[in-house]
Amino acid sequence: MSVEAQLEAAAKDLLAATKAADAVRPDEPSLSLRPWMRKNLFSSISSVILTVVFAAISIFAYRGVLNFIFSEERRWDAIRVNLRALFTFAYPESQYIRIWVTLGIVLMLTGLSMGLMKSIGQGFSIKRISMWFLSSGSAIIGGLILREPSVLKHPDGTPVLDENLQVIRESFSAAMGDRVWWWLGGLVALGIGLGLWFGFGELRRRTTFIAAIPLTLGFIGMFISTVWWFKWGHYGTNTAGDIIIEPGRTVAATTKGPWTVMWFVLVFAYIAGRAVFTTKRAATARASLGLAWLLAPFMTFFVILRDPALDWSHVWSTHIPMALAFIIGGGLVLWALTNPNIGEIGRLIAIVLITLALFHWVAGFFGWYPMLQKARISFLLLGLAGASAHNFAGDARQRSRMVWGWVGLMVIVHYLATMINTASTLEVNGEFAGGFVVTLYIAAFTMTFSLPLGVMLALGRTSTMPLFRILSTTYIELVRGIPFITILFFFAVFVNFFLPEGMELAKLAAAGIGFSLFGAAYLAENVRGGLQAIQRGQYEASDALGLTTVQRTSFIVLPQALQVSIPPLVGGAIGTFKETSLLSIVGIIDFTRVANSSIPGQTEFVGVKREGLLFISLIYWIGAYSMSKYSQRLEKQLGVGER
Amino acid sequence: MTNTDATVAINEELGSRDDMIVCDGVDKWYGDFQALKDVSATIKEREVVVVLGPSGSGKSTWIRCINRLEQHQNGRIIVDGIELTNDTRNVEKIRSEVGMVFQGFNLFPHLTVRDNITLAPLWVRKKPRGEVEQLATDLLERVGIPEQADKFPGQLSGGQQQRVAIARALAMEPRIMLFDEPTSALDPEMIKEVLDVMKELARSGMTMMVVTHEMGFAREVADRIIFMESGEIVEVGTPEHFFTNPTEDRTKLFLSQIL
Repeated sequence: MSVEAQLEAAAKDLLAATKAADAVRPDEPSLSLRPWMRKNLFSSISSVILTVVFAAISIFAYRGVLNFIFSEERRWDAIRVNLRALFTFAYPESQYIRIWVTLGIVLMLTGLSMGLMKSIGQGFSIKRISMWFLSSGSAIIGGLILREPSVLKHPDGTPVLDENLQVIRESFSAAMGDRVWWWLGGLVALGIGLGLWFGFGELRRRTTFIAAIPLTLGFIGMFISTVWWFKWGHYGTNTAGDIIIEPGRTVAATTKGPWTVMWFVLVFAYIAGRAVFTTKRAATARASLGLAWLLAPFMTFFVILRDPALDWSHVWSTHIPMALAFIIGGGLVLWALTNPNIGEIGRLIAIVLITLALFHWVAGFFGWYPMLQKARISFLLLGLAGASAHNFAGDARQRSRMVWGWVGLMVIVHYLATMINTASTLEVNGEFAGGFVVTLYIAAFTMTFSLPLGVMLALGRTSTMPLFRILSTTYIELVRGIPFITILFFFAVFVNFFLPEGMELAKLAAAGIGFSLFGAAYLAENVRGGLQAIQRGQYEASDALGLTTVQRTSFIVLPQALQVSIPPLVGGAIGTFKETSLLSIVGIIDFTRVANSSIPGQTEFVGVKREGLLFISLIYWIGAYSMSKYSQRLEKQLGVGER
Repeated sequence: MTNTDATVAINEELGSRDDMIVCDGVDKWYGDFQALKDVSATIKEREVVVVLGPSGSGKSTWIRCINRLEQHQNGRIIVDGIELTNDTRNVEKIRSEVGMVFQGFNLFPHLTVRDNITLAPLWVRKKPRGEVEQLATDLLERVGIPEQADKFPGQLSGGQQQRVAIARALAMEPRIMLFDEPTSALDPEMIKEVLDVMKELARSGMTMMVVTHEMGFAREVADRIIFMESGEIVEVGTPEHFFTNPTEDRTKLFLSQIL
């Protein structure tokens, strides 16, 4: 090698080295324990006082919680025995495979969604994970010392009493001796935490990341594996329909297989999602997954869980021909109406359609001739779609989009109308199921139905059309001025008195409608906030380009308004999820009702309420917290608030 | 209004062309405040008219009345032979003939640059998608930023955003372009790139009405300058007449303040 070449290579190396050095952000060393404490806990006299006060408060609170949870008076076996009741109530055990299939579908969609997520982030750093272990280890050991010693008991399990009939507690050292397994667990956690902390160097500790989703899946797997060796609980009904409690039979005996399958479904769905993520079809997959999520509640609830008692000859002779007539006829009409050259004839056809639809409603109201309700609804929808069709006219691709939208809408409307009016084969005491399943489905249906309704109301309230605006405003203000529980009572208890003769609404469906109508009013206000956040210039630019009002609303205004409203909308969704607990006071056996009435009503657990309420609070919290986390991620992804 | 020889000459030349915008006795009130007072003017085909005046003089109000972003109360506005009335179909027709560029760009932040441009031709003009995509590519080429097609407006500089806004307006193939202070919100180093696009547009024969404070642009590109103050048209003339030999005292005062 010549000298010049060597020099050149050396210069290149030097340049690369300086470049690399420039690129690295100057590293801020993390503080060791004492400086960290000085900086964050004891920086001034007032902070010393506050630290001491709050430390004392948290220690006392922690002690109180521990003493409550581990008190000898607690009947935690009420939860263990009633796990099945809490989640599905009296769902027939012979049909339990339906629950597993539903759960499998939900977990499959969850896994796929996680796999297809646009950004899964860096994950958790080693520093963070070691902090988890350190804090849980210290929490366990702290708890061991703080918790009061156990009550002394006779061999038959009754507590030993002193002369004042007070329970006697063992000595502190004996208590520590009894809790040796807890000590071991706490020390192991601390050891793992310390090992991770010191085993990894300063920089690696902060820059080594473990992907969050696989880690979570691993933890879930570890938890599920416990059903193979830990006896949880079981609950069911005997042939006479009476509640029986079988503490001897464990959930592990019947559910360890299904739970393990569920975990594998989740993991394989995630792996499949990751595999599709890298291909070109990821966007399509994401869109169809969204659709699947939208349809999943209806499919799983009406078909799988409810097992409809369909009269197939009627289905083939009436339901399907009618749906096909609307799909094909309506599709052809809309295809014609979206022709850009149709001109005035289009408006004329739309007016005729709307008149016809309104006539059907009037005729139905006066009972002039009978017609299935869903035909009336379909006619009205066709009229509305026809009236707005000219806004979506264009080339074949744009036209087919509207026609396909119509086909989808009709399939959903006819499917739902048929299913709601079909009895279930599994009805138990008037309601086919209860427990957490009811809570989840009412929440899902409310969210699905109140969103479009709320958006319509918000648009109505901000509209310039006086009638539309007054109607929407009246509705919103009326509903917001009435206590929710009143509305719920009306729908769950009295609504059947107001329905036309021959029409009956299941209590659950009625309550769901009440929830949706109520939720829509609040949702409308949230969306209105989003609408107001849109700058005037957006409207002006759309107008200046000649967009019609419908086009402006659907292409420019709504997409931006909904994006801005994500935080309040998720807040509303969390609220709905928790408010479903009100179902328990209108006679529906939901999650809260099982914990608050069913379990305390069992002979074995008379009056045992606190355990159940604490347990359901934990489950509600997990649901609400994951929703909140998901919305934070969504906001970050969409860049809300950082334009 | 006075006529110098140059003004006479240009009026004769313009007389042979079609009228694109005719305003006749236009009045506009905001509450009790009269923003436009008896504004009458005619803008011919392929003419570039620059409207000057101190702020609050009604320039923007006037230009926004021409595509009915603001409604006038008295008088008539006739654009390309169609009178602006409350008939929404007329309004839609005129808006699709008249392109507008705003001071604040007003791009759609949730759509890519390409979708910003193709949206209106697709859904308003009902053109096939392939043709519209090609049009967008050509227009971005014309305004000098073909490489930005797939970015979002928020990722572009102000000058680039305003050029996208011009391309978006041009995608409707308008017969008239209105510019409402297109460079006022831009940093000085970006003004030129936008003005260059506008100059090219003027040379291509577009009928343009421009509200601006860019005197250099007015002097170089305008066929006529209209000077407004307090909602009235004070003086109309060629740039040469306006900058070198204005007749009205108020015009002189304005020029002495800004030059």
